[in-house]
Amino acid sequence: WLYLRRQKERQLRARRLGHLRALALGQGDFQLRDTGGTPRSKSAFLGRWVLLYFGFTHCPDVCPEELEKLGRAVELLEREPGLPPVQPLFVTVDPERDDAAALARYLRDFHPRLVGLTGTPEQVRAAAAAFRVYVSAGPRDADGDYVVDHSVITFLVDPDGLLRDFYGRSRTAEEVARSVKGHMETYEPLPP
Amino acid sequence: VARMAAPTMEERKACWGARDEFWQCLDSHGDDAAKCEKLRRAFESRCPQQWVKHFDKRRDFLKYKKKLETEGYHPPEAAGKS
Repeated sequence: WLYLRRQKERQLRARRLGHLRALALGQGDFQLRDTGGTPRSKSAFLGRWVLLYFGFTHCPDVCPEELEKLGRAVELLEREPGLPPVQPLFVTVDPERDDAAALARYLRDFHPRLVGLTGTPEQVRAAAAAFRVYVSAGPRDADGDYVVDHSVITFLVDPDGLLRDFYGRSRTAEEVARSVKGHMETYEPLPP
Repeated sequence: VARMAAPTMEERKACWGARDEFWQCLDSHGDDAAKCEKLRRAFESRCPQQWVKHFDKRRDFLKYKKKLETEGYHPPEAAGKS
């Protein structure tokens, strides 16, 4: 019975992966810069597993919570022997305010290997579109301050650069880590 | 107007703390904001105005959600019957 259950799980995973590939989400490339000013496109991260979150530094609560969670998930995976490392990645949806310096300051409080990416408004718009992330800057108040409404999703990208899974606010760090581990264990590199 | 830097981690936590104290006061006074004016002012002074607006909306949403969960959904009577 256990064998049948495992077989069913394998089929479900394969079907889900098939759907994700068919959706072709995230297969678009992006052209952004990290906090050191180095240009980074998706190819910079090929060969690595990536957990990617879109947010902004002026975010009231959701982004710090999700980044804490992301950091904890990565830490849990780091503790597992034999798993490849995961690259945590943060892309701003507020390029006007989140330049390299602002991002560097903000990300210091989270996982030490967390890489931040920013760019021109056009580049950021294209990156969000590639991942179907909804972004909408709100009205400015008297001080010019505003919040940016955006989809709250952490994406899992495999070493081939394909989207493997995505995690919303309700998933815990433990659940994310368990799911990532599952994907790593069933991962087969795409034939060249 | 010079762009303000994003709040630091310490500033965020101070803001969230002030918000939580204000909300706890509202919870224990049946949402009577008049009973919690001092904490409201502290909350407004610790958080950017945009965040105050955001958290006010968040509280309204959480209360509405709780209402749906406990009382159920009652569609407005004014809607025409099909």
